[in-house]
Amino acid sequence: MLRSKLNGHQARMGYLFITPTILLFAVFTVIPVVMAFYLSFTNYDVLSRMDWVGLDNYRKLIADDLLWQTFRNVLYYTVIFVPLNILTSLLVALLLNRASKGVKVFRTLNYLPTLTSAVAAATVWLWVLHPEFGLLNGFLSYFGITGPAWLSQSGTAMTSVIMVTLWQAIGSNMVIYLAGLQGVPDYLYESAKLDGANAVQRFRFITWPQLRPTTFLVSTMSIIGALQLFDQAFVLTQGGPANATKTPVYLIYQQGFNQLQMGYASSQAFVLALAILIFSLINMKLSKAEESIV
Amino acid sequence: MKKWMGLALTSVMLLSILAGCSSNNDKNGAVSSPGASSPAAEGSSPNEENGKPVELTFWGDWGGEGQKQFETMVDAFNKSQDKIRVKYVLQQDMITKFLTAATSGGSPDIMFWDRWRTNLYAPKNVLHPIDEYMERDGISTSDYYDEALKELSHGGKLYGLPLTVDARALFYNKKLFAEANLQPPTTWEELATAAKKLTKWNGNKLEVAGFSFADAGLFNMYFQQAGGQMLNAANDATDFNNDKGLSVLNLWDRMLNQDKVYKLGFEQGLGEGQDAFVTGKLAMQYTGPWMLSTYKKYGKDLEFGIVPPPVGPNGDKGSVMGGFGLVIGEGSKHKEEAWQFVKWWLANKENYLMWSKMSLNIPGYKPALDDPFFKDDPAWKPFLDTLEFAKIRPQHPGYSVMEGDGLVPNLQLFLEGKQDAAATLKKAQEQGDRLLKDNAETK
Repeated sequence: MLRSKLNGHQARMGYLFITPTILLFAVFTVIPVVMAFYLSFTNYDVLSRMDWVGLDNYRKLIADDLLWQTFRNVLYYTVIFVPLNILTSLLVALLLNRASKGVKVFRTLNYLPTLTSAVAAATVWLWVLHPEFGLLNGFLSYFGITGPAWLSQSGTAMTSVIMVTLWQAIGSNMVIYLAGLQGVPDYLYESAKLDGANAVQRFRFITWPQLRPTTFLVSTMSIIGALQLFDQAFVLTQGGPANATKTPVYLIYQQGFNQLQMGYASSQAFVLALAILIFSLINMKLSKAEESIV
Repeated sequence: MKKWMGLALTSVMLLSILAGCSSNNDKNGAVSSPGASSPAAEGSSPNEENGKPVELTFWGDWGGEGQKQFETMVDAFNKSQDKIRVKYVLQQDMITKFLTAATSGGSPDIMFWDRWRTNLYAPKNVLHPIDEYMERDGISTSDYYDEALKELSHGGKLYGLPLTVDARALFYNKKLFAEANLQPPTTWEELATAAKKLTKWNGNKLEVAGFSFADAGLFNMYFQQAGGQMLNAANDATDFNNDKGLSVLNLWDRMLNQDKVYKLGFEQGLGEGQDAFVTGKLAMQYTGPWMLSTYKKYGKDLEFGIVPPPVGPNGDKGSVMGGFGLVIGEGSKHKEEAWQFVKWWLANKENYLMWSKMSLNIPGYKPALDDPFFKDDPAWKPFLDTLEFAKIRPQHPGYSVMEGDGLVPNLQLFLEGKQDAAATLKKAQEQGDRLLKDNAETK
């Protein structure tokens, strides 16, 4: 009797505490998503009309070459960016996960690019990547190499965007990996050493599996971020040259806000969401997120 | 259990992205509501208390110097009478805010307007036509540039008056021209030869570029010089896949790939102070009157001249006219008062001149152009000459998308040498026509 009363009280309090979050979630997330889904079946233009057009938007979308090109662009970007991001941020985290002097300074320095605004950073990189007066091509010229016009050639533009975004993303992922590394229990390493495991083996059989949840988090977040690439690419190249760095988010924004085809833009946004879902599921399978780690 | 958690995590993330896209709507609604409440709240006041002036909001997206200039005009208007009070409100993201404000009752009374947007917004009934006011107050349309008024019109109605007019002309570095003993070019042929002579390479390094090819979007201008029109007579499809289009690409190919007067990316990312034209690294380029103040500010040692764009092989002239205007929001509760403000500013020689001299913008009002400030200053003459033949962009709501997503990407492939001229024009036509069709006005 007393027990169930207590449970009921606890349950009530529990619901009370999560109410604000659930309410905010419903108002600012669930309702807009449902609305956007509805709008994707209309010819909504924000200003004058919102008529049901059935699957017209989705039909139009299939024939939209430019949309598929932007998807190819971000897929290429994702496939290169995500593994590189995991690799480098893990490497940096491993390097900085020791108690030696001055390590905090290096952690801070590695984190700094993350704090810089994307637009400001991209502006500085515009300079670094300048074909004639840029730092990078200046460096290459010491070795007798004439560097390309990084941002003005369709072949190298996306590579440049990857470089810049990687530089900015490593900091925050390094911090997440550092936290993950500190959570690996010391006794595991100790017993492995007793069993005669070398450093590589310790990494392979202890650190990497122990970091699986962290890697899952980092990879999921970077996949989502990568597929939604927009601001750096926009500042660096304005989607050019030859549409090589145009991304779905850019196109969605343009269709919705510049061309007032919000209905069509909503349908494009749902295709993007679907792509993100598929990639995240693949990632889940690959990183075996559902298996226990010990 | 773990599997379920993973799925839940993924779907929550997914939802939050979608929210990121769609909540723009809500955010803008929320942001514009303070602005929205003021005209509504004050809307009823003049009826109730007759002595109180009508308050108008004037939206613009010019900050800094531009904001000061707008505010000077607004102050002068407010001082000139006591019935109307105008307030300039800087809206950084004006068009997006206007989208929500226009339908939620918070429409601004007057708006600073990039003219080419008219044919996208006018059909949605969010701008107020001014033909009746013009006729009533006896303001003659012949006092304004035809092309500028055309750009502010849709379906036979006029939606605003031009505040500025501009067009690109050829800027050249006088010092470099004197060293090479050259005269400013007047034809494509002269342009190509001059650019070749002015270019200086040091091994693989380009030191002075003869002519700028930074913006493939200027195709329209060259195409007019070749005697073409970007869209067909029915205004529903592109019309550049022909000999005239080919002649433009041949000129570009000759100058960029054979004579090597430029290197792609040469000017990218250089700020105002390092502008290649200011630092003498670029001898000629097409740009507009908006660069005059920058060149005067940063180019202490820069001596430059301006001439109208060189003519094409058959002597055709071409440049693209652009500029801004003032429009009245259909949602405004004080359209008559808003018109009084627009008329005071843009249909009065003295006031128009005050604005033009202060902001150094070429007036779209011809009586103001007769002032010695514009007429007798040789710096303005090439622009005034160019404006005589400059044409606005075709009036199709999908035109800018056609250019930006269909034509320019193909031209960039051509400039990079990855696509030949015939394929470039063919693909640009196919993609451009589709974009025009997808973005055509549907009503």
